[in-house]
Amino acid sequence: MLRQIVLLSLFLFSTGLYGILTRRSSVGLFIAIEMMINAAIINFVAFNRFLAPSHIDGQVMGIFAMALAAAEVLVGMAILVMLFRQRKNTDIQSMNSLKH
Amino acid sequence: MSFLSNFEWSQNIFYLLAGAMVFFGFFTVVTKHILRSAIYLMSVLFFSAGIYLLLGADFLAGAQVLIYIGGIIVLLVFAVMLTRSADLAEDHPPLTRKLFGAAGAITFFVVSAYLIEQSPLIIEKSLPSESASIASLGKSFVDIGASGYALPFELISILLLGVLIGGAVIARKEMRTK
Amino acid sequence: MGEWITNSAWLITALPLFSFIIVGLFLRPLNEKLAAGVATASIGLAWLSSLLLASHYFSAEVSAEAQKTLIPWTVEWLKFQEGVTVNFGVLLDPISVMMLVVVTTVSFLVHFYSLSYMHGESGYGRYFTYLNLFTFSMLGLVVAPNIFQTYFFWELVGVSSFLLIGFYYQKPSAVAASKKAFIVTRFADLGFFIGILILGYFGFKISGEIQTGSQPLDYAFLTHPEVLKAFLNLHLANGNSLLALALLLVFMGAAGKSAMFPLHIWLPDAMEGPTPVSALIHAATMVVAGVYLVARLFPVFSTVPDVLTVIAGIGLFTSAFAAIIACTQDDIKRVLAFSTLSQLGYMMFSLGLATMAEPLGYTASMFHLFTHAFFKALLFLGAGSIIHAVHSNDVWEMGGLKKKMPITHITFAMAVLAIAGIWPFSGFFSKDEILATALHGEHYVHFIGGLLVAGLTAFYMARIYFLSFWGKARTEKSSHAHESSWVMLAPLGFLALLSLTTGFIPFAEFVKIGAPLQQEGIDLHVAIPGTLMALLGLSLSAWMYTGTLNVPKKISVALGQFYVAIKNKFYVDEVYSFITHQIIFRFVAAPVAWFDRNVVDGGVNLTGAAMRGWSSALTLIQTGQLQTYLLWFVFGTVTASLLLWGIFLGMV
Repeated sequence: MLRQIVLLSLFLFSTGLYGILTRRSSVGLFIAIEMMINAAIINFVAFNRFLAPSHIDGQVMGIFAMALAAAEVLVGMAILVMLFRQRKNTDIQSMNSLKH
Repeated sequence: MSFLSNFEWSQNIFYLLAGAMVFFGFFTVVTKHILRSAIYLMSVLFFSAGIYLLLGADFLAGAQVLIYIGGIIVLLVFAVMLTRSADLAEDHPPLTRKLFGAAGAITFFVVSAYLIEQSPLIIEKSLPSESASIASLGKSFVDIGASGYALPFELISILLLGVLIGGAVIARKEMRTK
Repeated sequence: MGEWITNSAWLITALPLFSFIIVGLFLRPLNEKLAAGVATASIGLAWLSSLLLASHYFSAEVSAEAQKTLIPWTVEWLKFQEGVTVNFGVLLDPISVMMLVVVTTVSFLVHFYSLSYMHGESGYGRYFTYLNLFTFSMLGLVVAPNIFQTYFFWELVGVSSFLLIGFYYQKPSAVAASKKAFIVTRFADLGFFIGILILGYFGFKISGEIQTGSQPLDYAFLTHPEVLKAFLNLHLANGNSLLALALLLVFMGAAGKSAMFPLHIWLPDAMEGPTPVSALIHAATMVVAGVYLVARLFPVFSTVPDVLTVIAGIGLFTSAFAAIIACTQDDIKRVLAFSTLSQLGYMMFSLGLATMAEPLGYTASMFHLFTHAFFKALLFLGAGSIIHAVHSNDVWEMGGLKKKMPITHITFAMAVLAIAGIWPFSGFFSKDEILATALHGEHYVHFIGGLLVAGLTAFYMARIYFLSFWGKARTEKSSHAHESSWVMLAPLGFLALLSLTTGFIPFAEFVKIGAPLQQEGIDLHVAIPGTLMALLGLSLSAWMYTGTLNVPKKISVALGQFYVAIKNKFYVDEVYSFITHQIIFRFVAAPVAWFDRNVVDGGVNLTGAAMRGWSSALTLIQTGQLQTYLLWFVFGTVTASLLLWGIFLGMV
């Protein structure tokens, strides 16, 4: 059953990856990222349960990852709103100032 | 001790949950409407909470629902609404981008799946009957010993506080300059 | 006091260094006259100190009846490894003390003379700064206790010579002359350096076997009898002596500095510098460094007689060659330069004829070095006085200066007599000893050659003397010439006094090497023909160059092409330019330049162009689109993980 769970989380991760690679809207990008983080948490929990049932560390990591995801979304959304005020759009492809 | 893990049909429940997650996960990233995408993501997160329950992580399942669905999704939806007026109503990536993205994601999936198959960690084993209790999870957060997480826990809380303030500062209406 | 100065001999060397730094950095920008005064005073102090040192040293030596080599002061300078240390120090032995006196005396007089001679020149302070630097370098060279320190100061005197020849750096000919001097001597020093490396390398090997208590490059080590024996056992692959090769290379450096025959070309051109500089550097001190080096290493040279034969041959040839050219030159300073060459050749061949068993040549050479320094400096300073008055170097533009410049005239005449070798002037004694060396060693070629050169010397020196002082003023300027200031005349007088008296110093008692000398004093077998030759040269010159001056023209016409060849210094410079321009530049430098420009630079440019091409191709990847970057990242990660996994499983 561990294999099935890990493959499920891999599927979610890959789908999230596809989302990151293709989305034009910044919010869509964040949605994809959240899905990837979620896939990682599933892995934490699953490995903890199957490989070290008497320990709790995987779940602890899951909680931490969740808190970090929340923090990331918070900051990300704040930046997004500010950028939107300046640019009037959230198109990720117009944000190419890394080129210069 | 999770109540679900004791049922014999936990396998079937898992496949049901997994199928739903695959379905919604897929549509999360392909749908044109960002708001729908957010709702699909909410479903994925909700079903993963089910998976946590199945795996005996009851607290985590609760936290998932509270933090993700109650916090993050709401935040995302707010963001969508705030930026919607002038923004892309629909998200249409170019075809080449879709193709490259799909190629990247599929390659990643195939290679990783292959590696998972090769990995010695993936053991054929049904759910172990024993599992750690929520009490031990709580204890580990306040345990300052070698196996405890008191310091990271405190750091995370400080981080979250900082993020809250930072987010408020960044998103303020006007940056005050002297 | 004498003991103290012996122990503090480094002070003599350090004084010019201190004043060089103080004058050059602080006083010169402040007040040029003050700078010149301080520079002169410091050399004066060094002069007094070295006189004190010499009187103490030689009186002690005479009483001890032994040759003393003292090293009163030494510090570790370069420690390469255990057993290979180069020290900085002061070595006192008869020749170094003698040289200290010569250098400080001439240097002080030249400083003093220059106070007036250089008056009003731009760069007055700079000139004295350079002079101080030169004096410091020369003193450091003289007292060097090891060959490495010698080399160090050897190059330093080269640099100061370069700076002083090019003192009038706005004048293209002076710049060219300074470069020529530097490059020619540098070329010779290359040989010297290789020689040092050979001596040092094998010396280090030998020092492992023989305990001498000194470092491999120390003169004490090199002249140690056991070490010399060990050196003589070393041979090159073709069976030639290794020591001979090393010594020939060292002699190459000495020949460059002392302007021996094929490397002499820089010295006549060096006359572009101010005349007092010529007196100090290019007559009395720096150019004798080569002779001094050979003398310093004489115990080593004497073990390889073939090398000494080469030295004697080159010395004699240079001596005759330069004397012949000197007869035809019109520039008073060039005549003096060629006469310097000739006298240096004298010293060299005298050294070459000496052996440890019959060391008269060694003493004679050092004696001639000693006396020559004073009368040649006097000649140059006298010439400087004339040039200062007439504003020309050409002897044909002078004439009739006897009445107008009486003191210059008398002192110059004394110097001419000294260099010609007329009793009781100093040149007579030293030249007599050199010729005696040749005669007693049964080197008849050298004896006859030396006699002829002595005659020629008397002839050409008298020629410039008569042309400049006798007859009528041939140009407007020379008719308005007047005597120089007392500041310039005082050194002339003092040097004239020295030219008259130094011959009577019992030099052989002070400076000697090896076996005791067979006889001392004047040998009539030598003195009579020598004096006769000198008188012959003088009177021939007097006959030709006083009165109507028709005879020289007739002779020059009669000699035809031969005269033209001499006048053009036997075309040695032209041969050099031919070799450098037509052969080296065309067949070596030009292909190398082509290679450098096309292959080396081309390679560099190609690399640059390739980089530019690559980077412009790579800028296409840099889109600024995070998602594109991420895509690359994903493919990269996948590839890397596959590879890692493959390695992990041992498949790749």
